[in-house]
Amino acid sequence: MERLPLHGVRVLDLTMAWAGPYATRLLADMGAEVIKIEAVNNWDLLRAFTGQPPNVERVWNKSPYFNHVNRNKYGCALDLSHPRGKELFLRLVAVSDAVIENFRSEVMENLGLTYEVLSQVKPQLIFISMPSHGKTGPEAHFIAYGTNVEQLSGLCHLTGYADGPPQKTGISYGDPMAGVAAAGALALARWQRRRRGRGQYVEVAQRENLINVIGEYKDERFADVVSRYRNQDALDAIIAAWTKERTKEQAADALAAAGVPASPVLSVPEVFQSEHLRSRRFFETVAHADAGTWEMEGPHWRFSETPGHVRLPAPCFGEHNDYVLRGLLGLSEEEVEALRTEGITGETPNWAVHE
Amino acid sequence: MSDPDSSLADLRVLDLSDGVAGAYCTKLFGDYGAEVLILEPPGGHPLRRHGPFPKDRPDPETGALWLYLGTNKRSVTLDIARPTGAALFRRLLAEAEVVVESFPPGRMDALGLGFEELRRIKRRIVLLSVTPYGQDGPWAGRPATNLTAFAAGGQMSLTGEPDREPLKNAGYQAEYQAGLQAFAAAALAAHYADAFDVPQHIGIAAMECMASVLELYLPWWAYLKRDISKRRGNVMSGMVGVFPTADGHIGLHVMPRNWPWFCRALGREDLIEDERFRTNYSRLQHNDELEAIVYAWAAEQKAKDVYRRAGEARAPIASVHTLQDHLDSPQLRAREYFHAAAGCGSGVTMVDQNRSLKAAASGREDAPAFRLG
Repeated sequence: MERLPLHGVRVLDLTMAWAGPYATRLLADMGAEVIKIEAVNNWDLLRAFTGQPPNVERVWNKSPYFNHVNRNKYGCALDLSHPRGKELFLRLVAVSDAVIENFRSEVMENLGLTYEVLSQVKPQLIFISMPSHGKTGPEAHFIAYGTNVEQLSGLCHLTGYADGPPQKTGISYGDPMAGVAAAGALALARWQRRRRGRGQYVEVAQRENLINVIGEYKDERFADVVSRYRNQDALDAIIAAWTKERTKEQAADALAAAGVPASPVLSVPEVFQSEHLRSRRFFETVAHADAGTWEMEGPHWRFSETPGHVRLPAPCFGEHNDYVLRGLLGLSEEEVEALRTEGITGETPNWAVHE
Repeated sequence: MSDPDSSLADLRVLDLSDGVAGAYCTKLFGDYGAEVLILEPPGGHPLRRHGPFPKDRPDPETGALWLYLGTNKRSVTLDIARPTGAALFRRLLAEAEVVVESFPPGRMDALGLGFEELRRIKRRIVLLSVTPYGQDGPWAGRPATNLTAFAAGGQMSLTGEPDREPLKNAGYQAEYQAGLQAFAAAALAAHYADAFDVPQHIGIAAMECMASVLELYLPWWAYLKRDISKRRGNVMSGMVGVFPTADGHIGLHVMPRNWPWFCRALGREDLIEDERFRTNYSRLQHNDELEAIVYAWAAEQKAKDVYRRAGEARAPIASVHTLQDHLDSPQLRAREYFHAAAGCGSGVTMVDQNRSLKAAASGREDAPAFRLG
């Protein structure tokens, strides 16, 4: 078997929440050594979505949402706002391939960690930023999360019942869409780097990325009124009379057997139990030191020669501090202890940050 | 059409696909500067038949969907099911890095053009197959559309009001999700094939793409066996949701750290230290009161005013933008998102380190979709 496509590619992952971490999950699934960098006072807020009482031991390592999005990654706690943390980060940049961040648009500049600075350390570096509105323009400093991005894209305006208001979609749709785009952009930047010998700065503006999938600029609800088939409502009533006498599976199976495109509307637990996905071995078992053993969705990019798998559970907070600080940077045990004492690294996040 | 200065000009993509997913995948390659050649069946690509058309007059050259997805590609008419077409395809293949197809599983094999044959012709080929349900499994051959794939992937069950039927996201979102994922996977495999001489057949199933992004709903079920995936309409809480204003709608997405800025944007600094709302937990405990405050406040606002004020106040509130709002947007205009030709920006700016970001963003014009043949 060949090695995984991104074997030996080290990605310093400063992203948090969903958009950026989804990008780096795709890279980690394909074999990249993704090092997720958090800090005691600036940790990934998905760790707080635990679904468990706050007094559960080390509950920040038991958030299922975090643990699904961050599987196959390593974790290191390093305070980039501290001069010593910054210095160590730049040393990591020197031995890495890519840096990716999805902070508010000005944060990397405030930290003094712009592409200009990092590419001095490593000209081959690929630097990906994922600001919601882009890093330029009059709204660059506005803040938007995934559901805001869909409101800004037109998707919310266009989605809804014929007689109703604009509708929020079921998930924070802008987040994963930006994540996939960033992973693709990294791949192309690597293609270009192989030819030019140097890296580049890539900006994924989440809002613009989502406008792209509204591409054809059609207001469906108006178009629907104009082009609606005659007698559509009567037809709907006839079909509904037939479907209501059957379960959703029976109806879909009968239609599919007759060559009609049909699918039951699967709930989330039904997706998890889907015979189709199970037969494709979509779900894989993961064992996590703090959170235990359960099944999660595996890599959905099905590569024939180098299939990806869940190889590592999501990192506990600061789990790989020693690997990164001592192994990659060569610090002594005493130096790491000094960082711990000053709060520049650690194994316990400050819970109050996301309270 | 590829930009001669772009170092993606030597990445050549053959597009045999017939739907939105494959077309969006190859559009992204084309937008970034790769050389994309659509191999259209006689009679034209199926997407040419999709409206809307100017003045509602169907024309294979003027459909909005085709003009959008066909941007930055070349086209040739070629029937790979016939000997001459298949022979031409083999010759094109020798000069290609990526082939994108969306036939029912098994069709390429039946034509004698399966992955094993393609890699025999071109050692480092990447074959990308993007379909609703994937290349194997009991549903692999099921007839499907964007609508049925969206229903199967779990997202439809989450969308809409709790007491009404579930909703599809506007447009072809099952296909766009699959197409975007297909693009990223194929780009990664193309680099790997190029650098390490390893070919790849990639299967992308729209259903799995969607099932992999069920936010916290699937993880909570998988790990906690707790189902929180009931449809909840527009309002998740007083902190996350779409609320009516006097003239339109706004959306809030307030995370714990944003609370003080959110209160200031509401003109309610008194709420910051209010015992009922001091922590995320207490805000959820008093959510009915918080929602009532937000509804009452929003009802008196104008959506665009709130968007500007909240933006300056660093609070995550957005007005629900219409398509006209895009065209009027000072942000999108300042960033030159809309290009002169039929297409629009990729949303991703790849900036050469020797060029300024602005120059990179404005120095490009899209090539319009090619005419048939």
